[in-house]
Amino acid sequence: MSSRRSRQSTAGVSRISDDQIIELVSKLQQLLPEIRDRRSDKVSASKVLQETCNYIRSLHREVDDLSERLSQLLATIDADSAEAAIIRSLIM
Amino acid sequence: MNHCVPDFEMEDDYSIPSSSILNRAKKPSMPEDGIMELLWQNGQVVMQSQNQRSFKKPSPFKYLDAGQSALREIRSSSHHQQQQQQQQQQSVTDHLFMQEDEMASWLHNPLSDANFDHDFCADLLYPSSPTAVAPCVTSTATTSAPPTPPLGRVPQVSASAMVPASRPPIPPARRNELESTRIQNFGSLSKEQPGPSNSKSVAREVTVVDSSDTPAVAPESGASQAMPCNTEAASGEDNNNACANMSFAAVAYTQSAAVSVGASKDNIATCEATVTSSPGGSSASASAEPTAQKTGPAEDRKRKGREPDDAECHSEDAEFESPETKKQSRGSSSTKRSRAAEVHNLSERRRRDRINEKMRALQELIPRCNKSDKASMLDEAIEYLKSLQLQVQMMSMGCGMLPMMFPQHYMPTMGMGIGMGMVMDMGLSRPMMPFHNVMAGSGLPTPAASAHLDPRFPMPAFHMSPQVPVPDPSRIQPNNQSDAMLNPLGMQNPNQPRIPSFADPYQQYMGLHQMQLHPPQCQATAQPSSSKPSNSKGAENLENHPSGDMAR
Repeated sequence: MSSRRSRQSTAGVSRISDDQIIELVSKLQQLLPEIRDRRSDKVSASKVLQETCNYIRSLHREVDDLSERLSQLLATIDADSAEAAIIRSLIM
Repeated sequence: MNHCVPDFEMEDDYSIPSSSILNRAKKPSMPEDGIMELLWQNGQVVMQSQNQRSFKKPSPFKYLDAGQSALREIRSSSHHQQQQQQQQQQSVTDHLFMQEDEMASWLHNPLSDANFDHDFCADLLYPSSPTAVAPCVTSTATTSAPPTPPLGRVPQVSASAMVPASRPPIPPARRNELESTRIQNFGSLSKEQPGPSNSKSVAREVTVVDSSDTPAVAPESGASQAMPCNTEAASGEDNNNACANMSFAAVAYTQSAAVSVGASKDNIATCEATVTSSPGGSSASASAEPTAQKTGPAEDRKRKGREPDDAECHSEDAEFESPETKKQSRGSSSTKRSRAAEVHNLSERRRRDRINEKMRALQELIPRCNKSDKASMLDEAIEYLKSLQLQVQMMSMGCGMLPMMFPQHYMPTMGMGIGMGMVMDMGLSRPMMPFHNVMAGSGLPTPAASAHLDPRFPMPAFHMSPQVPVPDPSRIQPNNQSDAMLNPLGMQNPNQPRIPSFADPYQQYMGLHQMQLHPPQCQATAQPSSSKPSNSKGAENLENHPSGDMAR
């Protein structure tokens, strides 16, 4: 990708944008569960980006929620136990 | 300055310094307007007559008409402005006002009698009408809780408090209150509006007072302050108009910023105008005020106009329409093609704008993303998304495992067996296996380090109910199958080496159920050696699984 970028950097912004973005968008697409399950061929970049943003936000929320739960769990067990260590690692 | 109307002659006669009201402090009055200043000296109001000794009475508004009261107000206000120091000369002012009231008030009679009781202002300068003063004072005092506050602050406060409370119609009382409040306003920088500004005159008076106060602060700020102050004070009152008027007057007054007779005159005019809720343009300040106000809304309108314009600019329609219009303006033939091209360009631009917008949003979501390049930013987004997914997987597994970890006590070694299952699919974000205690034993998995979640799940907990965990793996399995995550897993799993170790204890202690559990996962992952109920086989499978997963 970098090579492509550098190669195309001189060509013009559009080339860089199109190719790279297309690839990146496709990669993103694969990561997104929603789009991946659908027909992924016709998803526009805008849609992918939008879905990515939404997905990241949802993941953030999930992480927060899980952290909360882990914290609560951590409170219920011995602080020295292995579980506690695990939990702490998870919570980071 | 003698704004006083002939009717207010009496004021002069009484030589009550209008400014005295303002001069609450013990400081020597600043007779700038030639207004008598009442100096509160140790509880005694000493009136220093300035150029004119007109006792300005705030309350008279009620009784007097706008002009007169305004005049008085202006005078006092102007003087007050100069004073700047709002000291509580309330008693003094009250006295002064009272005196004025006395003079002019034929309504106060009943009340004044009551006021006479207090000799609070007995020491007022007004020897001419000590009786009047007394009643005034008394009235004021009555209105204000503490009748003889040395500094007048207390009475001011109380007066002010009372003023609103006692709007009621005791004219003299009200006047006193007004005066006191006015005094307070002077002192408190027009923070308080005279409560009983029931009449426009009163309002004007208040306005004037405030306006006078505001200049002290600053012409602009004062105005602004005055206005809100007025508004607040008058909120309780029924003088919305008064507030407006006051604001007008204040603004106008502040604009004039000159505590001069002329200014006062303007104020008076303004005050009068305010009555009609129109800045009366007699004074420049008054006119300025409306202009200032107009500019506000004008600015707002302009601002609003700009915003929608901006929005439109961003909106595709605007872009689309403008060129469209341009096209139409040209020749039709040429415009058609150009229009088409324009349309295309516009649509393309719109699309790009949308994408850019979303890229920006995405960039904001990604922490520590300092890339301005689209491609690099997308790369970072992809990596971040993967890491987030992993993290969520690990955490959810941990959450799921925690309750299962507890029973592990009867399987101490088992605890170690958590397998870091391979994350079959990076993007799936589905932990193959909840984190097992094994991890704790062998090492804590690094959530973000592409932890491979072992499809196996904690056996101890599922020892009895192996079915429980199955759903998870089975749930995960489809995901695993769908992705060729094996490769990425292999690459990403630094913990893999640990898996076999986990697997061993796992194998040893895990029972059939585990084998059963694993097989589905293993099978999902197309592990040939997955379904071996025997421990040995299970061990093999388990071991193979990780390896198999890794191999995948």
